Amino acid sequence: MAAQVIAGMGALERALKARQSIWWVAPIVCGALIALLATVLDEYLLYVATSWIVFGLLGLSLCLVWGKGGFLSLGQTAFYGLGGYVASVVAINFAPLTGNTLIWVLPVGAAVGAAVAALVGYFIFFGRLGPIQGTILTYTFTLVLWTGAIGLTIKVGDAVVGGDNGMTGIPELTLTFGEGAAPLAPFGMFLTVVAIAVIVFVTVSALLRTPFGLIVDGVRLNEVKTELLGYDIRFCQLVLFTVAGGIAGIAGSLFAGWATYINPTVFSFTEALLVPIYVLVGGRSSLVSGFVGAIAVGGLSFWLGGGVIGGQTTLALGIILILLVIFLPQGLVGLLATVWQFLAFKLASPRPGAPAPTTTGAQAQHGDDAMYTTSAPVADTGPVLETVGLTKAFGGVLAADNISLVFQRRKIFCLIGPNGAGKSTFLQVCMGLHKADSGTVRLEGTDITNWQPFARVRAGLGIKLQVAQIYEDLTIWQNLWLAAYSRTREHQAADEVVEAVLAVIGLGEKRSLPGSQLAHGEQQWLDIGMVLCLAPKVILLDEPTAGMTPEETRQTAQLVNELANNASVVVVEHDMEFVRTLNADITVLHHGAIFAQGRIDALRQDDRVLDIYLGRRKNVKGI
Amino acid sequence: MEWDYVAVVFVSSLGSASVLIIASLGLAVIFGMMGVINLAHGEFIMFGAYAALIGTRVGLPLPLAVVFATLVTALFGAIVERCIIRFLYGRLLDTLLATWGLSLALYQTAVLVFGSTTPGVGMPIHTVSIGRYTLSSYFLFLIGVAVVLLAVTYLIFTKTSYGIMARAAIQNREIASSIGIETGRINTITFALGAALAGLAGGLLLPAFPATPNMGLAFVTKAFLAVVVAGPVTLTGTVVAAGTLGTAASATASYLTTVLGDIFFFVATITLLRLFPKGISERWRLKL
Repeated sequence: MAAQVIAGMGALERALKARQSIWWVAPIVCGALIALLATVLDEYLLYVATSWIVFGLLGLSLCLVWGKGGFLSLGQTAFYGLGGYVASVVAINFAPLTGNTLIWVLPVGAAVGAAVAALVGYFIFFGRLGPIQGTILTYTFTLVLWTGAIGLTIKVGDAVVGGDNGMTGIPELTLTFGEGAAPLAPFGMFLTVVAIAVIVFVTVSALLRTPFGLIVDGVRLNEVKTELLGYDIRFCQLVLFTVAGGIAGIAGSLFAGWATYINPTVFSFTEALLVPIYVLVGGRSSLVSGFVGAIAVGGLSFWLGGGVIGGQTTLALGIILILLVIFLPQGLVGLLATVWQFLAFKLASPRPGAPAPTTTGAQAQHGDDAMYTTSAPVADTGPVLETVGLTKAFGGVLAADNISLVFQRRKIFCLIGPNGAGKSTFLQVCMGLHKADSGTVRLEGTDITNWQPFARVRAGLGIKLQVAQIYEDLTIWQNLWLAAYSRTREHQAADEVVEAVLAVIGLGEKRSLPGSQLAHGEQQWLDIGMVLCLAPKVILLDEPTAGMTPEETRQTAQLVNELANNASVVVVEHDMEFVRTLNADITVLHHGAIFAQGRIDALRQDDRVLDIYLGRRKNVKGI
Repeated sequence: MEWDYVAVVFVSSLGSASVLIIASLGLAVIFGMMGVINLAHGEFIMFGAYAALIGTRVGLPLPLAVVFATLVTALFGAIVERCIIRFLYGRLLDTLLATWGLSLALYQTAVLVFGSTTPGVGMPIHTVSIGRYTLSSYFLFLIGVAVVLLAVTYLIFTKTSYGIMARAAIQNREIASSIGIETGRINTITFALGAALAGLAGGLLLPAFPATPNMGLAFVTKAFLAVVVAGPVTLTGTVVAAGTLGTAASATASYLTTVLGDIFFFVATITLLRLFPKGISERWRLKL
């Protein structure tokens, strides 16, 4: 019995795999089934249900920015409302020319929604606002529009925008052309809206299946790391936000054509509140959740007798939102997924688990050379990274005090010093993660002091931060691929880079495991591997051996030595034995300033260096 | 344009800014001390206004009704913290959503219980005259109140042992609890304090802004923006932002229209945020 079940599971899994390439069939079949269902429903229900699909589109726009992009926007109704308003003005003026209204309202709604979202998004993402600040900005934007729309009365051609009363007499959705074109009947309108929803959904899904989708995942899971892989995350977020704004605008224009009126309540906080409720009811991690939520909420209030949401349902919705957030943050889709995973685990547990761990480490000799074959040939020696008088203070503490250092090509440098000496700060200022108060950073002679971090990465700087930065929810392969694609911008080449790096860091056997399942030391290697994928000219390693066993540390030393065949490697370390094996030029930092420089043996004889490390009184400032 | 007109616009704009400061304080305290943006803040103000209104109806003089409103709203805030907020610490965006839901629920409850309009309590009728114009002295009084409230709040959080414990709890919850600070209780008190400030605002503003279910909205948009543009030094930053932007916005509103005043406030905020992405107080040395 159990064996049959397992065999069944296997078949199911194969079927699921096969579905990967024909994923677009499911939404289309779903749309067709809904259309089929529509043939047996009565006209009034169909008319109301059309609005649920429209609201589902609005929910989809939030799924995109929140569920996928990780940014909670409370302003999707702003793009929805503006799209609706402008599309209506256009429809009133131009529909008589063609009969068909759809060819007017859809592009106008999409364009207006996208343009306004792009403008708002520019301020949020290029201003690098924090998550709370950005969210509040979207909310207040909606509220300002609400006040604005109530007071606004203008006449554009034949269209009259009447302040609080809004706009009436908007032509109904019409598909046919010519003078005698008749508006769609409820059944036709429902089918049209469902068809548009399916098209939008499939387009969005297709977009997210491109590398752009993986970058979006990267931004949501680890913003800093994604930037350090050389992606302009501001631009990426802006694109996603703009696309979502366009979808909201389409929903707004469809709403206006469905209702034949539009008024400032589209900007009200009651309306704005509905969108995250749809998404939360559905579950924010899935794109369908907007539709699931809109149909569930709409259906429930229809069943309760409210029809279109309004009136006392506000109270219920407010309470529902609180309960959802506290008790069901994953939503219906998330709940189903959890149950499904639980069942699958129960049934499938006798199967062999993940591949057994094999020996890992820097096994492949000179494997990293392959990384550099594609990059432009560079001069063999000479300075590559240079800092002049670099200074950075946090509050009253000088974390980096007038540091001038020169790093040569194809050599290893070590930065050591007691805790709080400013080693990590120095690396982070070089990388642009902190802005220098004064001083200059030059890469191959170019002044990069004011560059964005991602631009420095593209120019050839790579950093592994102290705490390993990996995407825990992505597989090892995806982790590396995201890094490789940043440099190659091409599928095939990225695949090749990943294979080569896997050979270097020795995690090939675990390629399909999620990053979270790696041991500490392996996570460090994965992080270094991602840096390696970028083939940087300068590699900054902040405590690469933290959390490693002695054997792993030995292998890491070997790896660092190999990296120096191609790049300048700057290592910050506490492990003196490790530093000794690297046999490199050493700089000792103390209180943010350069304290001593030389080879390890000389420094070991230096009483002053021993004093600051051991905290002995002589030569120790501030005691 | 006569000097007295300009003076009246300036003083009344300053009065409006004080109203905004009074309305923003509670929000800034909760955000600064707990990292939580309370989207129901406007409805807490509304709650305070209705409490004060009921206080006057049962015969309390207005000052006592305001005290009553403050206490009741504080209690309500404590209950909200215990029942909702405490489950959501560390889930930043979820707190936003939950308080948003609360804001809607409170708004609708007020509509059900009180209807959408209620008579006000009447403004105290003292006036002062500037040139040819007269101005209600109530606005001058509010300017004074704003200054006093700010000073008291600042002192509570920088000088009292509660304030220092509260700041410790927000900076590092684990360390704070390991040296014996009851972070759970501190959070309840802080949230209640923020709510109390909202209730106080509702009561104080009642003579000028009659209690209606959506009265909170009149303040929150600008209060949220002020907190966002303030940056890391939350309390002082919010007051500076609310003070300057509020004065400028209501001056704009006096010369042009109210809507344009709102739009000016919004545009000024996003412009400031473009110039100071981390808020205007990024480089200040103040504690709070």
